[in-house]
Amino acid sequence: MNRNILTSLQDLIAGAARGDHACFAQVYERTHLHLFGVAVRMLGNEQAAEDVLQEAYVSIWKNAGSYRSSVDGQEIQPITWLIAIVRNKALDALRSRTRRNAHEQPQQQTGDEDDAGLPQGTDTAPGALQLFEQAMQALRIEGCMAALDGSFRQSLALAYYQGLSHTEVAAQMNAPLGSVKAWIRRGLDKLRACLGAQGVAP
Amino acid sequence: MRYTDARLLDALASAYVLGTLEGGARRRFERLQHDRTDVRSLVAQWEQRLGQLALAVPVRRPSVDLWPAIAARTRPAAARQASASRWTGWLRPTGFALGGIAAGVVAASALFLSAPGLFISSDQLAMRSGERLPQSYVGVLADAQGQGRLLVSSLRHGKTLTLKVLGAAPIAPALAGDERLVLWALPADGAPFAMGTVPASGTQVSALPDTSEKLLSKVSRLIVTRERGATPSALGSDVVLSGSCAKLW
Repeated sequence: MNRNILTSLQDLIAGAARGDHACFAQVYERTHLHLFGVAVRMLGNEQAAEDVLQEAYVSIWKNAGSYRSSVDGQEIQPITWLIAIVRNKALDALRSRTRRNAHEQPQQQTGDEDDAGLPQGTDTAPGALQLFEQAMQALRIEGCMAALDGSFRQSLALAYYQGLSHTEVAAQMNAPLGSVKAWIRRGLDKLRACLGAQGVAP
Repeated sequence: MRYTDARLLDALASAYVLGTLEGGARRRFERLQHDRTDVRSLVAQWEQRLGQLALAVPVRRPSVDLWPAIAARTRPAAARQASASRWTGWLRPTGFALGGIAAGVVAASALFLSAPGLFISSDQLAMRSGERLPQSYVGVLADAQGQGRLLVSSLRHGKTLTLKVLGAAPIAPALAGDERLVLWALPADGAPFAMGTVPASGTQVSALPDTSEKLLSKVSRLIVTRERGATPSALGSDVVLSGSCAKLW
């Protein structure tokens, strides 16, 4: 059944690529709850997430023709393509928010973590690490990923679910920047290995 | 930077998809993707891997205004583009002199200042002098008791819709968390279409995907229903308010 849903989403994107606006409306109908969840999680508030989602769907409509259902013989799920578009728009919004904050508050450099342009934690429960562990369980790779130290998983979770930069992850975890970069790098390598072993992704 | 090292490219692709590749490096990598299919392939693979993590994020419902805003930027954009290309296509072969256009603008401005009546319709003049209301589509929607509760108005050739809630009491007191009041237009010869959500109180101005002349010329009735979906595609049966849609000219 899940397979069916994925296949038809692919057809709808193909329809949108041909300029069929009704297909595009269906793409929105099927995916916007999930994609809005991702955007809210990253941006920390609904208004900013709606702005990002609007930009993302306009981009999806314009670039529907560039979706490829497989790359080098490997299937690419349409939803992961859509998620990537939303995350890229959200990352742009987060980075420009950080630049704006840095510009507006040049004096506040002294470890004021609450005001460093990070998403507000109030509306983003459950926590990033908790989401990460849930995803690992759903993918049945929690055992494989458990070989990694907790800080590796947490740094990867903060970067992914909250869109934090290396510097922001380091500030949030109160850890050296160099260590955070290494943790994330190792975390990504491990994730690839575990997903590959499970046959979930290349 | 050397872009021939497969391991380096893979590391850049993963950092790009995760979002930790920033600033100039991110922009350079985007240009590289544009030029190289092997790099696009690496990115697609990482999108597929990391996309799995997003599946754990709880779903959230955006406001019902989001889809109309997206539709307004996608559907009419195609039409606008088509007409724009026709326009430039027509201009090019005629080899229009810009000087001629400028001279025309100057002459028209002079004429406009000396004889505004030639450019403004008698209707617009009457409106400006306070004798008449502007050409608009209006509706007053009443509840089951016949009490007028919502004023709907839109300039005939405008692209905004103004909704004003009349009275202090809420239109529908027992509205559940995920329920919304949606305004529908009922055309005489077509399917009903949603025009947006109704505010709880006060006045709300929202954008329309086209002019109200295009949208409402064949609409005789307006209703407000209680809906649950973010983008209700079919009219619900729980009608809260109803009224006529009239042409104010």
